[in-house]
This record gives sequence, structure tokens and C-alpha cells, in this order.
Amino acid sequence: MVSRGRVLVGDLAARLAGVCAGQKLSTALGLQPGLMVFERDELREIKALESLACWAGRFTPTISVVSPDVLLLEIGSCLRLFGGAPAIIEAVLAGCAEQSYSTNWAAAPTPLGASWLARNACAGIHIEISAMQAALADLPCAIDEWPGEVIDRIESFGLKRLGDLRQLPGAGLRRRIGNQPMDDLLRAWGDLPDPQKPFAFPESFAIDLELPARVEHAEALAFAGQRLFAALAGWLHGRQLLLRCCTLHLAHDDGEKTPLALRFSEPAADEGRFMRLLREHLARLQLKAPVEALCLQADELLDKPGASAHLFEQAATGEGALACLERLRARLGEGAVQALSPMADHRPECATFRHEVVTCSPHDMRASTAVGQHRPLWLLPNPQALVECAGRPQWHGQLKLLSRAERLESGWWDEGEAGATGDVRRDYFVARNPLGQWAWVFRDAQGWFLHGLFA
Amino acid sequence: MPVPSSLALADVLARGDVWRGDTLASLPEAAIPSGHAELDAELPGGGWPRGNLTEILVDRGSVGEMSLLLPALAKLSAEGGWLALVAPPWQPHAPAWAAAGLALERLIIVQAGRNVAWCVEQLLASGGFAGVLAWPEAGIDARALRRLQVAAEGRPVFACLWRSTAVAQVPSPAPLRLMLNTGQEAGHGELSVRIIKRRGRPVSRSLALSIPRPGRSSRAVAGPALSLVADRGIAATPVA
Repeated sequence: MVSRGRVLVGDLAARLAGVCAGQKLSTALGLQPGLMVFERDELREIKALESLACWAGRFTPTISVVSPDVLLLEIGSCLRLFGGAPAIIEAVLAGCAEQSYSTNWAAAPTPLGASWLARNACAGIHIEISAMQAALADLPCAIDEWPGEVIDRIESFGLKRLGDLRQLPGAGLRRRIGNQPMDDLLRAWGDLPDPQKPFAFPESFAIDLELPARVEHAEALAFAGQRLFAALAGWLHGRQLLLRCCTLHLAHDDGEKTPLALRFSEPAADEGRFMRLLREHLARLQLKAPVEALCLQADELLDKPGASAHLFEQAATGEGALACLERLRARLGEGAVQALSPMADHRPECATFRHEVVTCSPHDMRASTAVGQHRPLWLLPNPQALVECAGRPQWHGQLKLLSRAERLESGWWDEGEAGATGDVRRDYFVARNPLGQWAWVFRDAQGWFLHGLFA
Repeated sequence: MPVPSSLALADVLARGDVWRGDTLASLPEAAIPSGHAELDAELPGGGWPRGNLTEILVDRGSVGEMSLLLPALAKLSAEGGWLALVAPPWQPHAPAWAAAGLALERLIIVQAGRNVAWCVEQLLASGGFAGVLAWPEAGIDARALRRLQVAAEGRPVFACLWRSTAVAQVPSPAPLRLMLNTGQEAGHGELSVRIIKRRGRPVSRSLALSIPRPGRSSRAVAGPALSLVADRGIAATPVA
């Protein structure tokens, strides 16, 4: 990684070859000709930090981003929820590792103290302020934010540690090293208040992720997508929103984009559920061209209704009905998973309306119940013509008609429309054949037809 | 393996995991009353089992096989449960299902294509469904059935597979199998049900269940069947 012709950071192989930070790029290439060089992109660093901040919304609502590379999470108010500082830190670190970020961390009562400790790789949980002050006192005086001349001057005093600095009289030190370093010192020690600018979760969610290598198999995108969905889940939690629909744009290397819409049958905010649905979609997806970037956009959002947790742990087994149906729909295609509702139409073909599964308040079924008692449970997709023999319809033998004719007619309003039932004039009968099968048959001008089955 | 003599036989028999062949097994999951007292008396646990596969073997549909289940399905639906029909052979007619007491917004139709077994397994394993009725392909093998049985185990779901009577002699992992007899030997409004496999001693006789039949309430007969039905003693009033 280089910036303005100088090496910023190198991986292990580069360091073994003698490449180190601050070298000129030409020197580094001399040491290791096969070096892969990446220009530093500060905009992407900021974006990455912001997406990490979004993701961290699941742990605490109070987050601040300190550029260029520090994320402050205020966890003091969330300790009870997560069961103590070690538990929450473990969860944060595990999440970072899952998204393949390497982190330095520290937990301390003051934000500046925590970031100095983390910067110097002094990982540890310092709950008591005295413990943190002891740890800070051991840090070297070279603080990145301070100007170089201040650090040089402190060095010329012969002071190596921050603790030595603290022991000097404050007023004299302030005259010599300036206000800002002195105030920083007081803030880090907790003697001055240090309010932080809270991270504002963006109003709408859309983040990009450039893939390290071109991906040719759709399944391989699931891993990269996980990072995006982790950020999305954190953002949803931070803003107390639920997601109904989102779109994952796959940017191909030829400049085209494939949108992949993910619809949820109920508003959700659970990362695991997002990922299960994504995997189903990716398993069916055929990539037209290799993918080099992903962009995740939240399309339909709604406020999360407040709900109390159960006092006793409810034994929830499995993912639940709606989440399962989502996956089935993703695998089987649109229209394969449907619910029914009755339609106010007397023609049997038109009395059933199939629609996507939704969570809604139940309809008033009483109107349709009366007529439904005399209707068969099953309808044939198309009425099946029956042979007539001696004036009686035949279906696996002679059909016995067991009811009075029920006349269903008219339907002029969709006459002639494509796919519509149109005008009908039929006499329906309940009938039974010698095999004991109960059928719903009708007779019209064309003859006898089998239309339904009483099961 | 010799049993230590200090262990009394009665103690062994009292254990929960020992099942005696001469008693009907009592299932830990509450069974769903079938709505037919004669059938409940023969079913282990007193009703349709939850958390186990049930196979119903019937050759031709529309003999009243669904009416056999409707009371139980209506009960599950009234309790707020979700029901799924996987790959039904015909199209469901919404008014009739609503009239049977099922909440249509929680009745899901899955057109599974060639993935019936996969769909049923997912639906059973999700734990969110109270009833799953599936029409598997004729060639479904014992391995797939076993997967379904494992998926259903321990979940409060009524899982029912409709299969052909041709597989009656083929072993199946389903703990409960029923065969519906059609044809003339069954009475006019009756459905002959034979339990061919259950947990407990086998059943020798078949049950004749009275199933609500359509068209009775109108008590009217039309057309050519008039004389035949009148012979059978059904109150028939002449129609115009």
C-alpha cells in the first residue's frame, strides 16, 4: 500500500523482504521486484469505516468515527444487555474478524485514553479510571495527533513516557508544549470532559463493496455479500427500522449491472435471514459476466414496532413459517408459493384469487362461507369433457346425479378477454360414480363436463 | 446381555423409552383429535400425530379423503397455525376451503415441481407450520421419506403424505399409515379406513367412517338418477 510514492504498509512477505513503512516506492521495488502495489484510497477507507460504524449499530447507539481510523463505541450503557464488558468486546472482535478487518482495540473510561491504548496495541479492559491511568502512563510520548515539534521538544526534555509528562507542573508544561497536547493529556486522564460527535446513521442505506478479485461463480458472492448485510443489519438496528425489500446490484466487469431484488414476506432485520435468502437466490443465479463490485441498497423500510421480550425464554425451534416460505419462493421462482383468498364471483374458476403470502389481518370470510359449503375442495384446471351414454355422463362408469341442478350463468363483463372465463351458462350437479368418487359436473350447450372434485 | 438381577422387570417397563408391544403407544406430543370418535380410538395418542409422518394411501382422489382431515385441519387453523399444501394434484377452490373453517391467509399452496421432498423437508424443519400435506412423486424413496420423518420429529406439526395404495406393501419410515378403501363395499356415505401400520398392536378390521357428503342438504335429485337414489331410501322430493 503506497501513498504519494512512499510505502505505507506491507504484508508479511514484503516485510520479510525488507520493505518497511516510509520507504520510497522505487527502493521497495528494488528490494522486491514482484511487489504488488496498491495506491491508498482515503475515500474508500472512510467508507469502510462508516460501514463498520453502521454494523456496530447492533452493539450500541452511541458511536463516533474519529478519522482516519478510529471507531469509538460507547459500551458503558450496554453492559447489562450483553452481559458484561468481556462479552460485548468478544462479540465486536468476532464480528470484525468475520468481516476480515484486523483491529487494535482497548476499552477505557475516556475516549481518548481508549484510542491511545488501542493505537499502541495495548489491548485490555480498563474499567477503573486508575487502571487506565496506570496503563496510559506507560505509553510512549509520540502521540500521532500531536505536531512533530512538540514530540521533539518532549523528547529533548528527556521524557519517554506519558506518565513522566503528567508529573511535571501543568502550567509550565502548557507554556512549553502548547494548549492542544496539554488538553489532550487532561482529556485522556479524565480531568477534562471529552464530548464526542456521535455518528449519524445515514438516512438511506446504500453501500458499495469492490471485490478483491473478479468473481465468476454466483455462490462465491455470498461471502462478500455477508459483509454488506452485516452493515445493513447494524444500520437497521441503529435506526430501529425493518426491511421489506432490498436490492443487491452486481456490477460486471463490462460495466453492466444486474439487480438482484430480495423481497421478504415480513419485514425483517435479521442478518442470518438475509443471508439465507441471498444464498437461495445466488444458487439459482447465472452470472452473465464476472462480477467486480457489489452495491447493496435498502429499498423499502418501515419503522420497527416496539415489542417486549418474553419474560421466559421461548423455545423457538426453526426459522418460522414466513422465513421458510421466502426461501422456497427464492428456490422455486415467483408464483410457486401462494396463498388463497376468495373472490366475489359466482363462476367457480374466478372465485379463487391466488396471491403472494402477506401478513395481514384476516378477511371477513362469512360472506363466502354460505356458498362454499356446496362447493368442491378441488377444481380441475380446465373442465374435462365427459362422454354421454344413454343420457347420462360417464366418468369411470356411470355418474349418478345426487343434487338438484344449480344454474350458474352470465359473465358478459370479461367476455372475449384473453384468459378470461367469459360468459357461461351451466347447470351444476353433485354426482357420484361406481368407484365412490364424488364429482361436480356441469352440463352446458356443449355437453357434460367434469369441473370439480369433492375430496 | 444379562440384566443385573437387582433390577426388577417392573422398573424396566416403567421407563419412558421402553415400549410394550401390546399397548398403544402414548405419544409425548399432543395428538390432534380427528373429529371421528371411532378413528380416534384406534389412533395412538387419540388423534392425528404431531411430529411424525402420516401416510394416507388412496388410489383415486375425491372419495372423501380430504374431508377425513378437514376437522383436524380446521382446528389447527383456528389455533392460528399455518397450513401448507405441497404439489396438490388439482387447484384448490377457495370458497370451499373457507367454508370448511380454514383461514385462507394461512393456507399456503406450494407448486413444488420436482422438489416436493425438499420443500416438505424445509417446511417441516422450519417449525412454523402446524400442518403440511404433500403429494409426493410416485417414485419417492425410503431415504427421502426418512429425511422427512427426521425433519418432522420433535416439531408440533401434522405431516401427511398422500401416496398410492400400490406402495402398501413397501416398507416406509412413517409410523402411521392408513389405507382408504374406495369402491362399492363401502356404504353410500361412508369411507372405509384401514390402519395398516401404527405404533402398537396391528388393527385387523377396517373402520367405516361417516363423512359429510355434498348435496345432501338439498335433498333433491334431478335427472336420470332419480329412481336409483329413491331405491336407496334417500328422501327424495320430486323436482320440476
